[in-house]
Amino acid sequence: MTQFLLHTVWLIPCYAFVGAIASGLWSPALIRQTGPRPAGYLNLLMTLLAFVHSLSVFVQVWQQPAEQWSVSWLQVAGLDLTLSLEISAVTVGATLLVTGLNLLAQTYAIGYLEMDWGWSRFFAMLALFEAGMCSLVLCNSLFFAYIVLEILTLGTYLIVGTWYNQSLVVTGARDAFLTKRVGDLFLLMGVLAIYPLAGTWDFDQLGQWAATAQVNPTVATLVGLALLAGPMGKCAQFPLHLWLDEAMEGPIPSTVLRNSVVVATGAWVLIKLEPVLALSPVVLTAMITIGAITAVGGTLIAIAQIDIKRALSYSVSTFMGLVFIAVGTGQTEAALLLVLSHAIAQALLVMSTGSIVLNSITQDLTQLGGLWRRRPISGISYLVGVAGLIGFPPLGGFWALLELADGLWATQPALIAVLLLVNGLTAFSMTREFGLIFAGSPSQMTERSPENFWLVTLPMMVLLGFTLHLPLILQSLGLLPHWADLNKDMALLLLWSSVTGIGIGAVVYVGHSIPKPIQLPWKRLQDLFAFDLYTPQLYRASIVGVVDKASRLTDWFDRQVVDGVVNFVGWVSLFSGQALKYSNSGQGQFYILTIAVGLTTIALSLGWSFVWPYLLTP
Amino acid sequence: MPLEFFLLLAAALFCIGIYGLITSRNAVRVLMSVELLLNSVNINLVAFSNFLDRQNINGQVFTVFVITVAAAEAAVGLAIILAIYRNRDTVDMEQFNLLKW
Repeated sequence: MTQFLLHTVWLIPCYAFVGAIASGLWSPALIRQTGPRPAGYLNLLMTLLAFVHSLSVFVQVWQQPAEQWSVSWLQVAGLDLTLSLEISAVTVGATLLVTGLNLLAQTYAIGYLEMDWGWSRFFAMLALFEAGMCSLVLCNSLFFAYIVLEILTLGTYLIVGTWYNQSLVVTGARDAFLTKRVGDLFLLMGVLAIYPLAGTWDFDQLGQWAATAQVNPTVATLVGLALLAGPMGKCAQFPLHLWLDEAMEGPIPSTVLRNSVVVATGAWVLIKLEPVLALSPVVLTAMITIGAITAVGGTLIAIAQIDIKRALSYSVSTFMGLVFIAVGTGQTEAALLLVLSHAIAQALLVMSTGSIVLNSITQDLTQLGGLWRRRPISGISYLVGVAGLIGFPPLGGFWALLELADGLWATQPALIAVLLLVNGLTAFSMTREFGLIFAGSPSQMTERSPENFWLVTLPMMVLLGFTLHLPLILQSLGLLPHWADLNKDMALLLLWSSVTGIGIGAVVYVGHSIPKPIQLPWKRLQDLFAFDLYTPQLYRASIVGVVDKASRLTDWFDRQVVDGVVNFVGWVSLFSGQALKYSNSGQGQFYILTIAVGLTTIALSLGWSFVWPYLLTP
Repeated sequence: MPLEFFLLLAAALFCIGIYGLITSRNAVRVLMSVELLLNSVNINLVAFSNFLDRQNINGQVFTVFVITVAAAEAAVGLAIILAIYRNRDTVDMEQFNLLKW
């Protein structure tokens, strides 16, 4: 039985895919009588199957060498597209994380979307995401990873656009699709350019090739930058980060999944590509720079938001920026650990805030407040999520950040300052959000705000428990450093930065001494961060503006010049016909004149050689 | 008196005929111009016959035919003019421009 489960590990993505297709049966167009609920239950069951399967396989492959399986997908002249799978503790662990989080998100969604008719579409999309992510982590080929990433981009478009009768949803889905698509297209350039160099798309063979490759540095840089651009868009890194902010228009249960794992798909590809990217120091520097800018910018923007979901979405960009820094400095282990701890903590945070939004209606932080006494479970979940996210021992985020900082200490100490700053600012931002939601006195919107019913609270509680147990699980798996190897200075620095951030946040936002809403003395700076560095305007002024102008110009050129030239030919024929018909004057004598002139002309042209000499002689 | 002189005279007469043919407003004058043309042709034929074909004088035979046909043509032409005149009460060529574009 266990062998059978191991050999059918490829079924894990298929369960969800079956669920996605079967959900279609309950769409309101097909089943008009009994409602869409079975679609959700069926998908939950499928996800549970996938989770159990992943778990049983994970137990078997733990501390076993990675296995490679391959299936030939397409063989055409000179190109052999082989779908290869890697079955290792990391990949199966990732499917475990994906299916586990999707299980919780789907349970949450069954509660959250109680008053919604679109279960069929919504759950089909969630299942498509689960199937896509499981295939992404299992497949060991850059080419197939690209295919899955593109499918997930389409999935993002559809799931953000769930409630498409809202105008902001439509623009958000559009931006999410186009921004990620741009990154994906650059990734495709990189994927296509690396094949002639390495002759393979398998991640492990790419790694072996990169170890001994002698590549022109310019080529390595360009290919590396193209490969970097895909994850940049996927992970919502500067400057391709606006889509994540606008994707917060989608339903919260999908946000749970997206903030935790979907954006991490880019990071996964990045981690897998680390040996190739390391061929060029320029690419590594670019990666670190992008990550650092996003991390610092993201937290600063998150601090200035008044929308609960958007404040969290910028912290997702921040942590993905830290993953970029980790991969840029060659620490794939730390990056993976960071992705894991971030996924769990972030999912918990989104669930907690979603639970607040569900029955407080508003998402505006300035209209919330005073919920701590009536919403203890959501509040505690939020606090634990914060503690699990930032460097707060002994929870997961601390160990990931510590490992990252430990690696940076030897190579790039300057980045440690960034790391500590980001950690402190995130702590401040999260505490601010906590203070605005839970502390203070109830506002009009939160005067009557009961805790949610079990379907929303249960997944949150399970995830809360898991966040708390994450360090124990990591320890039992032997992933935590021993006490003796611990860089205690670094640990203290991290702790201090977190405590400082939380402390300042608590004084400012939980305490009553400072009147709210807080105005910075520099109004412009506050607006700059509150409006996301004016990124929409920046897009519209640069890329969108140029493409728009160019397309209008092309359209004009096509309509006026290209069509005009052809139409001109027709117009000239028409006009000449209209004009030349007047040569039929109706006068018989005119026709005779024409005949006489014609005959004379013909005679002259025929007899020219005879006439010419007589004309020349005087 | 060489042949060329006759030919030039005939050509001149032909040109005068053409001029009259395309400038006259009176339809009868147009017919008269046609007669000029035919006469210039006849001069050509007689001149050629005299200078180049003294034995058989084919040109003179042709000329007799041309005069005959010209008479018949003038008769038909005048009949046509008369028919038009009965309908339209004028022989002005400028008025006969109904069949245009």
